[in-house]
Amino acid sequence: MANVIFVTEDSNSIVDRVFSMVESVIHQPHGSVALVFLIGVIFGGIIQYTRVDKFEKIAGFAMLKDTIIPKMLFLTVGLTSIGLYFMIDAGQAHYHIKPIIWQGLIVGGVLFGASMAILGKCPGTGPVSIAEGRIDVLFGAIGGLLGGLVFTLYYDDFFKPLMGESLGKTILPDFFKGSGDITALVFGITVIIIAIAIPKRELFDEEDLSNLPDNKRPDKKEN
Amino acid sequence: MINRLPWWVGGILMSGLLLLTFSIYGADRPLGASTYVPLFSGIIFDLDPEKYSYLKEIKNAGSWEGVMLLGALFGGFVTSVFITRSFRFSLIPSGWKKYKNGSVLSRLFWSFVAGFFMIIGARLAGGCTSGHFMSGMSQMAISSMIFGTVVMIALLVTGKFFYNTKDK
Repeated sequence: MANVIFVTEDSNSIVDRVFSMVESVIHQPHGSVALVFLIGVIFGGIIQYTRVDKFEKIAGFAMLKDTIIPKMLFLTVGLTSIGLYFMIDAGQAHYHIKPIIWQGLIVGGVLFGASMAILGKCPGTGPVSIAEGRIDVLFGAIGGLLGGLVFTLYYDDFFKPLMGESLGKTILPDFFKGSGDITALVFGITVIIIAIAIPKRELFDEEDLSNLPDNKRPDKKEN
Repeated sequence: MINRLPWWVGGILMSGLLLLTFSIYGADRPLGASTYVPLFSGIIFDLDPEKYSYLKEIKNAGSWEGVMLLGALFGGFVTSVFITRSFRFSLIPSGWKKYKNGSVLSRLFWSFVAGFFMIIGARLAGGCTSGHFMSGMSQMAISSMIFGTVVMIALLVTGKFFYNTKDK
């Protein structure tokens, strides 16, 4: 019905397309528009408040000079995997598994990992960085939009065949039938231990540090 | 100025957000952050969504993530202005100056190239740090563990050879 309001001569205007994006969320059983927006606000807030959107954190990890990213990522995965397993068991959530497509995962993973080291951002942290005023990341986003365009244009002819056949949506508990609970606990706890065991190293942004008095500088005190 | 949460608080909060997103009381879906990009490409380059099979395939997921991304931009902006006070315009990160070079042009060029291949890579694999690494590994998905391993290796190898990290 909202379309009726927006149908004009230029029915494909950007406003119209953005509106149809919102409308699609309204019609999906995946939360109200307000909730989805709120999830985004919290997502952006956590990324910003932990400062993991910084080049020094992500590219710093690629150079092994900073380990905040893997520590936080592994802790998130460990905690979530245990909680999620029992939530799914209780019918309060569902599996949404991505298929095993070997070629896509390997070629995609190599391109993604190499790009992440160079850009120092990923598709989730990048926009948060742009919101913080980082113009260089905006250039990355323009590159990304062109990447999305090329992928869409050549999907059928090139990218889909490159991804290869799906070998199914296997999860770890499939290998340990009957002891899914234990598998989830062992996996979760192992990943949490990895998060804690990774030695903490930090690379700071000198432009941030120079604004601080000496006794507040995290590179000069243990926190 | 460094107002920030420690990594373990961030991990606990992010885990809570993932569980909320997965739960039937929340969004009943995983949290992802790369499918929105081709959706936005389609909008900006004015591609007819009925003509391209990929745009049809990602319409729902891309729209969901698109709305979430608008929230993330808002949340990131407000947090950077009022809490971390890190909002400032900049063209080149200080880590790039220290370990790569001082050229803004070089930084902008490499950002553009990396952004391009990052999205191609994420779409080939079917996810990114959020969709595969966080949401996928939390479901103990084998596909996400493969992706996570390949990304880690590529990230570390590139970090070693792309930057000059010796004696610094």
